[in-house]
Amino acid sequence: MARKSKHSRPDEAFEPYEEHAGVPMPVNWVAIALTIWGTAMLYDTGESVQESLQDRAEDSDVVAQSVPDEGTLLFGANCATCHQPDGRGLRDAVPPLAGSEIVAAGPDIVSRILLRGIDGPLTVVGQDFDGHMPSFDSALNDAEIAELASYVTTRWADTTEATAQTSEEVASLRAEIGDRGSFGGGAELAMMISSLPDQPPMPARSHVQAGDQAARDLVFAGRDQVWSCASCHGDLGQGDESTPRLAGLPGAYIVKQLQNFREGTRENESMQLVVQGLSDPEMTALGAYYTDLRVPSTARPVLSGDLKRGEQLALQGDWSIGVPACFTCHGPSGFGVAPNFPGLSAQHAPYLAAQLANWVGGQRHNDALGLMAQISEALSTQDRRAVADYLASLPPVPAGGASMARMETQDDQ
Amino acid sequence: MPLTLGLLLSLSFVVSLAALAFLIWAISNRQITVDQGDAETIFRDGEQGHIDNQGTEHGDAKMRYHFDPVRAGIDAVSARPVIVLLGTATVWLVLGSIFGVMASLKLHWPDWLNQSAPLTFGRMRTLHLNLVIYGWLSLSGLATVMWITPRIFHVPLKSPRLVLVGAVLWNIAVALGGLAIASGWTDGEEWLEIPWQIDMLLAVAGACFIAPLVRTTRARDVHHIYVSGWYFLAAILWFPVLFVVANIPGLHSGVEEATVNWWFAHNVLGLWLTPLGVGTAYYLIPKIIGRPIYSYAVSLLGFWGLALFYSQVGIHHLIGGPVPTWVVTLSVVHSVMMFLPVIAVAINQHVTVAQNLWALKESVPLRFISFGALMYTMASFQGSIEALRSVNSITHFTHYTVAHAHLGAYAFVSLVMFGSAYYILPRATGRAFPWPGLLKLHFWLVVIGFGIYFFSLTIGGVLQGLSMLDATRPFSESVELMKPYLEARSVGGTLMTFGHLVFALNLLGLAFYASTRAQNTVAAE
Amino acid sequence: MNRYLPLSILALAILAFATLMLVIAPGMQINSRPAPEGLTPYSEAEQRGRETYVSLGCLYCHSQQPRSGDQAPDGERGWGRASVAADYTYDQPHQLGTMRTGPDLLNVGARLPSEGWHLTHLYQPRAIFDWSIMPAYPYLFDEKPQAGPGDVVVALPAEYAPQDGVVVATQQALDLTAYLQSLDRTYEVPADGLRDHGYGTPDGPEPTPSEEER
Repeated sequence: MARKSKHSRPDEAFEPYEEHAGVPMPVNWVAIALTIWGTAMLYDTGESVQESLQDRAEDSDVVAQSVPDEGTLLFGANCATCHQPDGRGLRDAVPPLAGSEIVAAGPDIVSRILLRGIDGPLTVVGQDFDGHMPSFDSALNDAEIAELASYVTTRWADTTEATAQTSEEVASLRAEIGDRGSFGGGAELAMMISSLPDQPPMPARSHVQAGDQAARDLVFAGRDQVWSCASCHGDLGQGDESTPRLAGLPGAYIVKQLQNFREGTRENESMQLVVQGLSDPEMTALGAYYTDLRVPSTARPVLSGDLKRGEQLALQGDWSIGVPACFTCHGPSGFGVAPNFPGLSAQHAPYLAAQLANWVGGQRHNDALGLMAQISEALSTQDRRAVADYLASLPPVPAGGASMARMETQDDQ
Repeated sequence: MPLTLGLLLSLSFVVSLAALAFLIWAISNRQITVDQGDAETIFRDGEQGHIDNQGTEHGDAKMRYHFDPVRAGIDAVSARPVIVLLGTATVWLVLGSIFGVMASLKLHWPDWLNQSAPLTFGRMRTLHLNLVIYGWLSLSGLATVMWITPRIFHVPLKSPRLVLVGAVLWNIAVALGGLAIASGWTDGEEWLEIPWQIDMLLAVAGACFIAPLVRTTRARDVHHIYVSGWYFLAAILWFPVLFVVANIPGLHSGVEEATVNWWFAHNVLGLWLTPLGVGTAYYLIPKIIGRPIYSYAVSLLGFWGLALFYSQVGIHHLIGGPVPTWVVTLSVVHSVMMFLPVIAVAINQHVTVAQNLWALKESVPLRFISFGALMYTMASFQGSIEALRSVNSITHFTHYTVAHAHLGAYAFVSLVMFGSAYYILPRATGRAFPWPGLLKLHFWLVVIGFGIYFFSLTIGGVLQGLSMLDATRPFSESVELMKPYLEARSVGGTLMTFGHLVFALNLLGLAFYASTRAQNTVAAE
Repeated sequence: MNRYLPLSILALAILAFATLMLVIAPGMQINSRPAPEGLTPYSEAEQRGRETYVSLGCLYCHSQQPRSGDQAPDGERGWGRASVAADYTYDQPHQLGTMRTGPDLLNVGARLPSEGWHLTHLYQPRAIFDWSIMPAYPYLFDEKPQAGPGDVVVALPAEYAPQDGVVVATQQALDLTAYLQSLDRTYEVPADGLRDHGYGTPDGPEPTPSEEER
């Protein structure tokens, strides 16, 4: 209909109007197609919402109250890496449960130890140990502690007394204990268990001597150009989200990271600014300060990772993708091996996942053999979340974990 | 609980679909078109050469689509309010775009003009948005409404003084709102920053526009309401409802406030600016070309489809956010359903233009308007696709969305308004633009500027979104990779601002340098 | 169409229907959820800080709505768990935001609890992040020859510190920082918390096929 050339303009009086063509067929087809798509979309969303809600509910079940009648599973996940699956412990490092006089004292004591942990020398079945048992106060709920205590006493205590513990009893124990901290070695346990053989005395705590005053100033006051450590990492070095927990990390590891920030082999703008003002002796003092801190875990799984898969990666690794178990290097239960392998347990999941991502992305390349980059690249996003969430669910590095780990390596050699 | 939510969701969709199905059925059965009569075929060749017709003679079938508003004295009545509205709108446009360029520059020169709070990015950007939306687009849109409505109803604008009062109040409110935002007094929600105390003044001003328009409609001298009229009448009712409900102080809080916020913000676009732009294009495209719109039935589909679907798309701004799943899905589905009314409008408007490409050469206003109409189609298609969850995961929270917003509000609505200003002003003043070349310069400046703006932010936004979705890339990367695109955006924005200065210069030229000529000679400028 | 009244009534009825679906129904659903136990109302200083946050337009670059891991890696970035409607019970006006020119801030108080860090960053973001494009806010601070009693001195690297004297925070800066520190929604919420669950959980951890052998 277009007029070819010399179009005369319409006159001013022309008034727009609409012709009466029908709706073209394709428009109807589009309408039908959209309708079908819309209905399918609604249906599909409804389905996937149900699924994802269920998944989430299951996830939180795993965290909150996993299999209450399966003590074996709980033991395997929480105790076996140190005490060994057969409960015989590790010579010179981890006391045995089998035949232990402490276990024989009944489920009540076992629950107390699970809740408080042990920090001090003790003698079990005639062997001396430098006791470092973590507190499971934050990692396990009442039902789980009760289940575990019942399981341990039933299996190893040579007793005919009642070995069952209920979660109500654990709840009241928890309330009674409050924040009393770890048992002071065998000496304090002996006060509760009369049948215990002679226990070594509790040594005076060397690190409580207020440490280095200069380090404390740095930690809590900072200085002109830098903020204090505690202002981000927390008063107790507990960290949160992407800010790491420092409490209990090997001192030498902390020093190395600070140096790496200075050298640029580990990238983080805030930390790179902070280390500009730190001298080598100060770094050493900070490392010593944080390695001795003991704090309950504040971490928990928050990345919706698959905890089962995380456990598998941490305990066994996955050789189909060339990933060794985390605990091969980072020590049993992920408590770390000084000086080079930091503790991973009770570390915040976002921090862990972010570090794994950073190894992949190259913002972090400060390990000797490039091992972490290799491992991280083999992990999928879901794997990184899974293992980070699992590690966050573990109890914290026990007091003086670094020294324990050192002893173990000597033992291996 | 899931049962009731599922019900709600399907209820809404079913209602929309039922309405749509009824509409299509009614159209195909000619239920709605009866009142128009069957005479249209007779007039197919009758669109020219009838300069001598007067007024509204329904009796003379041949004169049916000819009406001379000048002789009927219609333009003379609306001229003054329209000139005031367009003039002040242009002031806000220039101010708003200067603030926009400053905000854009600040994103890559973060330490530039950093010494006082009113100059900070957060306030500059907000000033830009509010001045262009409430100052430029709303006022120029209202000017067009006040000009076209009396013309299609064949009756002079009723209560033109009230419109003038409204224009003055509205301008005062926008000015106060701008000052409030600059000084840090804000309601703190996107698109709703102007404090509610000042909003009350805006509402009063709005009422001054509604009354004359309703009175004009009631006094109309035609039986049929032309499609532009539907859009205008609906918009002028929708906007006050939206504005008042969203601004009631103390009523909303938390996430509920967020849903109100985006229900409002998207409806400002969908139920206010879009109908103004579409309605204007519906009148001016056939008017300038001198050919009718393709199909009345398609117009119906376009209008009611827009009302049904556009009104429920707002929550796609909160996809993946802390709002109930069903309301997000509802908005996603309706966003995609928007394809339908957009295709309808596209058929009606682009077919008419495509068959008469010669007119684009001759008429600069038509160039603006049909480019704008084309951008409406693009923006809506893009918006529908952007609302899909998979696409939204990438583009949400990035500059891609900014580019999209400008495609809708700028390339579509603003360009239509430029065209309509260029068409209206010579007729309202009886003068010709003194420097016709500057009209073309304006066109090319804003089109090229916008092209740079849009493509840089779109590409940069996708890259930014992909980077943010990858945990192995640090957040800093998403910031750093945007920088060249942000610089390109400033270049594009500056060109557009130059275009606006040329536009203002043209208007000044018309006011002070133009010779008074017979208006017919300026018809196509 | 030729009648004005039916047109307007129908147009308004459609809008009313949309309002019902988009505002009233979700509003009722949202308001039926109680505030989480871990969430406390803002203190007076935090609320004042929030007003500063609003008036400076932080919203235009910072969202406050972490997404779920199914959709985006917000968790790994330390931005926190996916937020739910009840997390915002005390927010008015809401500041959910639609841009991430900068990072999400809903849990900035958890990952960056340091007052000192925030003051430095507000005074001059580029003192910490050389790539940052965030505005500096020098007008929230005073330069003084020396700090008076009770003054909070801003820690600054030498190149951004004044020649002589110190930079101290005004009350406004301290309030704003208090607000940022209060942004911590890391407490636990029920798994069925009200949010967009439309992104399905991926089917477990898929082992990455990797040929690389150690």
